[in-house]
Amino acid sequence: MTPDVATPFPLLSLLLWLPLGGTLLCLLLRHSSNLCRWISLLTTLTVLVVALGMAVSSIGGSGWLFYEDAAWIEPFGIRYTLGMDGISLLLVLLTALLQVAAILISWRQKQRPALFYALVLVMETGIIGVFLSLDLILFYLFWELMLIPMFFLIGVWGHENRVYAAVKFFFFTLAGSLFLLLAIIWLYLLHGGQTGDYSFALDALRQTVLTPGQEMILYIGFMLAFIVKVPLFPFHTWLPDAHTEAPPAGSVDLAGLLLKTGVYGMIRFAFPLFPAAAQKSLPFLAILALVGIFYAAWIAYVQTDMKRVIAYSSVAHLGFVILGLAAWNQLAWEGSLLLMINHGITTGGLFVMIAMIQDRSGTRELGKLGGLWTVFPNLSAFFLLFCLSSLGLPGLANFAGEILVLLGAFKADPLWGGMAVAGVVFSAAYMLRVVQSALWGESKKLARNDDLAVREWLILVPLAALVVLLGVYPAPVLEFLREPVSLLLETGGMP
Amino acid sequence: MNPLLLFLIPILPLFGGVINVCFGSRLPHRLVSGLSVAAVSGSFLLATLLWPLGSGEGTRVVLFSWLKSAGFQADVGILFDPLAAVMTLMVTGVATLIHLYAAGYMAEDESPARFFALLNLFVFAMLCIVLADNLLFLFLGWEGVGFCSYGLIGFWYRNSKNASAGRKAFIVTRIGDLFFAIALLWLFSAFGTVMIEQINARVAELDPLLLTGLTLLLLGGACGKSAQLPLMSWLPDAMAGPTPVSALIHAATMVTAGVYLLCRMFPLVSLSPTGMAAIALVGALTALYAASCALAQREIKRVLAYSTMSQIGYMFLAVGVGTVSGAMFHLLTHAFFKALLFMGAGCVIHLAGGENDIYRMGGLKEKSPQVFWLFLVGILCLAGTPLTGGFFSKDAILLTAFAAGDGFYATLWGIGVLTAGLTSFYSFRLLYLVFFGTARQAGQGHAPSPLMLWTLPPLALLGLCTGLLNLPHLFGGHEWLTLWLGQPMAEMLPVGTEIGLLFLMLIFFVGGWVIAHVRYRTFPGDEQAGWRSFLLSGWQADRVYELILLRPYRAICRFCWQGGDKALIDGVMEGLARLCLHWGDYVRRLSNGQVAFYLQGFAWGLLLIVGWFLLASVK
Amino acid sequence: MIVPLEHVLYLSAILFLLGLGCVLARRNLIMILIGVEIMLNAVGLTLVGASAFWQQIDGQIMVVFLMAMTSAEVSISLAMVVYLNRRKGTVDVRAFDELRG
Repeated sequence: MTPDVATPFPLLSLLLWLPLGGTLLCLLLRHSSNLCRWISLLTTLTVLVVALGMAVSSIGGSGWLFYEDAAWIEPFGIRYTLGMDGISLLLVLLTALLQVAAILISWRQKQRPALFYALVLVMETGIIGVFLSLDLILFYLFWELMLIPMFFLIGVWGHENRVYAAVKFFFFTLAGSLFLLLAIIWLYLLHGGQTGDYSFALDALRQTVLTPGQEMILYIGFMLAFIVKVPLFPFHTWLPDAHTEAPPAGSVDLAGLLLKTGVYGMIRFAFPLFPAAAQKSLPFLAILALVGIFYAAWIAYVQTDMKRVIAYSSVAHLGFVILGLAAWNQLAWEGSLLLMINHGITTGGLFVMIAMIQDRSGTRELGKLGGLWTVFPNLSAFFLLFCLSSLGLPGLANFAGEILVLLGAFKADPLWGGMAVAGVVFSAAYMLRVVQSALWGESKKLARNDDLAVREWLILVPLAALVVLLGVYPAPVLEFLREPVSLLLETGGMP
Repeated sequence: MNPLLLFLIPILPLFGGVINVCFGSRLPHRLVSGLSVAAVSGSFLLATLLWPLGSGEGTRVVLFSWLKSAGFQADVGILFDPLAAVMTLMVTGVATLIHLYAAGYMAEDESPARFFALLNLFVFAMLCIVLADNLLFLFLGWEGVGFCSYGLIGFWYRNSKNASAGRKAFIVTRIGDLFFAIALLWLFSAFGTVMIEQINARVAELDPLLLTGLTLLLLGGACGKSAQLPLMSWLPDAMAGPTPVSALIHAATMVTAGVYLLCRMFPLVSLSPTGMAAIALVGALTALYAASCALAQREIKRVLAYSTMSQIGYMFLAVGVGTVSGAMFHLLTHAFFKALLFMGAGCVIHLAGGENDIYRMGGLKEKSPQVFWLFLVGILCLAGTPLTGGFFSKDAILLTAFAAGDGFYATLWGIGVLTAGLTSFYSFRLLYLVFFGTARQAGQGHAPSPLMLWTLPPLALLGLCTGLLNLPHLFGGHEWLTLWLGQPMAEMLPVGTEIGLLFLMLIFFVGGWVIAHVRYRTFPGDEQAGWRSFLLSGWQADRVYELILLRPYRAICRFCWQGGDKALIDGVMEGLARLCLHWGDYVRRLSNGQVAFYLQGFAWGLLLIVGWFLLASVK
Repeated sequence: MIVPLEHVLYLSAILFLLGLGCVLARRNLIMILIGVEIMLNAVGLTLVGASAFWQQIDGQIMVVFLMAMTSAEVSISLAMVVYLNRRKGTVDVRAFDELRG
């Protein structure tokens, strides 16, 4: 229960509230958009540096790398408990990295820039909060906190059909999370009734004695919220719409980070709290994941909007992640989490690049694009790299995760592993279709024909470097995952 | 010698490739091509110097651990055994010559950096396949060559037909990779390792049924990369790439990766009789199929593409009848003479002024006797003219097939002999149409650059003389290659039978030549009709695939989208939303704005409450 | 106490029902307001009666508050009636249905 590391300085809180501080500054100085821009960039950079520092300082650490606990709302037993293990550390790093990219890609934001940056920063707090909270109410709070900025990002700064997409996104996720809230409260009451200790702490609630029926209902309540967020077939239809309409920063955050919170919720909360129900659900999860892998890959093949292709590819990749979780062994879980990180970077990169392409050609329609390589060789080379990673070329990031998932899944059930491999072929089909329509062929009419600017190089080079690095040498990441994953699998988390 | 130096063999081309990717567009063209040639020839030199490391058990070195997790480990490691050594030497050697050739061929191109970067990366990936000590690292190379060949086939991307050909190659070979990947997963779950050595050492533990399954899966993977039936349709289209690419990738190295894989896993493969029969069958059928298609092709490079497919069929047949050394022997000779032929074809196309169609060529012998003689060497090897390299290697395979005995293998042997006849026919047809007769080309050609021309003689020499590598006892040789590879000597046929079979081969060879001579010595005019167009289109394979695979696939995709996502899922969700709206409409009508109506509501409510309390107090 | 509590209660109940009937039945805004007043007074009467019955001062204090509040309410509502009459030229409640859904 008590952490072995006493944090002398509340680093986790710093990490968590820094972006919100940036938000306040942005709102105070909303009249100078230039200042807001720099404030938000500096904020995200600071978060990244702090997170990197924490990562470096905790190499080789075990248990909770960082932990904070304070009383918050005493009468209801709600505490302010934050904890960071290897998994949350990596996800926080990913968040910090992608937020920098998100700010940089919306550098020229014209329409209400202050509010825009403020919302992006709020979202960063929300996402980091989700990855750090160990108290269920705190978790729920951040869970909903992510939703609101995204709703506005889509609804205000989106493209033509933005209101429909924003409302769809909001209702899908909200409907899911209401079940989560109900389940949390019921679990709290059950636990309090049994022990007299009314608490929302994850560790305490794990001790609750539940009948199988209760456990299953609660588990389903939790999982509904997470499955919608992941999103798993058949709850995925909000994602393509949200992506199509969202501004670039929104797309990056959505695919790179928001989807990951669903998976994180499963492994940190749903599975450890209800282990028996989770075991029973694994085959169903695997089937949904497999269906999702194929179904999404097929649909992606006939999309005409680049963003929709990538959105459906996200559904397929997250299908791999969930398949890995369903395989329930160390290999597959490490693969799933690695794939999550790598997919975040790859897809983040892809969405960033689609924004750049749209900037230059004025369209995302595959039919209207073509021959970009002739005009923008550098941009196209980066795009090709991210596409290759996305289609799972060995040596690039996604493959490292995918192959571990496949190995683990095959170990759990040869049929799962064997079928999932076929998904890889389909991913080649749709990604190459995008590459072909966008890069090859005769070049079409363009709005601008300048290749990458310095700011764009700054976004792409780190992402591309990571794509290669994580593909060739994922060992450091796997090192961080090893202990937390084995703990989660064996006992459901830290003792 | 430090075994770690072995890593320089693949790393040099990788370095060349990466430098060209990053800075190539800013470097002068000469430097770009020079760099990549230097990188590849560097690894050729190293491979020669490090040759002794490959003898006997070979050398195994590990650079670092690529993926390591919960009992799974895949290193970036090299296994330099006799098989790998031979292959490395061949790949780097041929690649060096082809790089030199390409430096001449692509001198005028506007983006040589991309070309040479991809070419170098290709050599790197191919060397990964050859040298990898575990299947996952091999898989990296395996997919890597797929990507590089994709990029190179579609190198002239402005014509989207080229790009499509590249995409087709990538996807079709990836279907094969799917089987390979499943085999990899299966091997890992069976052995807990993906190390090639360990797997091969422990195959005897496996259940025979599992072994057969694994062999078939590996065969599937090999079929994709090596363009064997039924995954062959990408290779003819791949000729859209620049000629050096066709020579390097689609003749000498990448397409033989499948054969190499089967040889690499031979201890496993050989334990499954069904699997072996399947491999032999696929090989023989492909050899026949491709040779028949080559009979009617009009584009010079497509003839060669089909002939490649056909020759690789022989190699599969060799693996299937159990002679790794036979397969490797043919692989080597074929690499030399096919690279020679393709590069010769490149010169021919230059001479004919960019013309691809052999019906629009002719009479080139007078124009450039040099090219003619070099091309002739290639053709002679391909046709299996006695005493050339191609003759010995092909003959070794067919003899082994014959020696295997039973009816099944005898049939395959028959197919092989028939194919040899067809090969002889189409080889000479090509030769006659291109070099003899009247000049029919429209454009004014130009002589190939010296750099291009001077890379051919070494290949011609190698093609003619590789026979000596594995000269059979009948001709006074000692089968050196077989010894080096540590393979068991093939069963000796009675000398009389062997000579008889040789004569039979000779008859088929001469027959093919004579027919070609009669028919094509002088140009017979365009011939299009009937069975020729059937053969020209590769037995309509593309159309069949379009009908039975692609169209249904697209239909499923569209159905999932329109029917599944839009109609069903979104339909249900939007239906729910509409239901809510509908009910809201009813409730809306209750608030009609009339104060009197609301007051009545209050009154009724009051009545109800009072009534409730009254009832409660009565009870 | 001279008058029994029951009688007070009967009286206030009758008064309340009369007021309610007036509120429900009439369409004229002023009459409705008068009905509301009668109901309020009925409640006030009950409070006074109860206060006298239990000898507690609270009820009467309530009534004093009630009267003060009623006068304020009547002044506001009559002002609104005048305003509404000016807007539509009628004091019929059926004319005012702008809040319908």
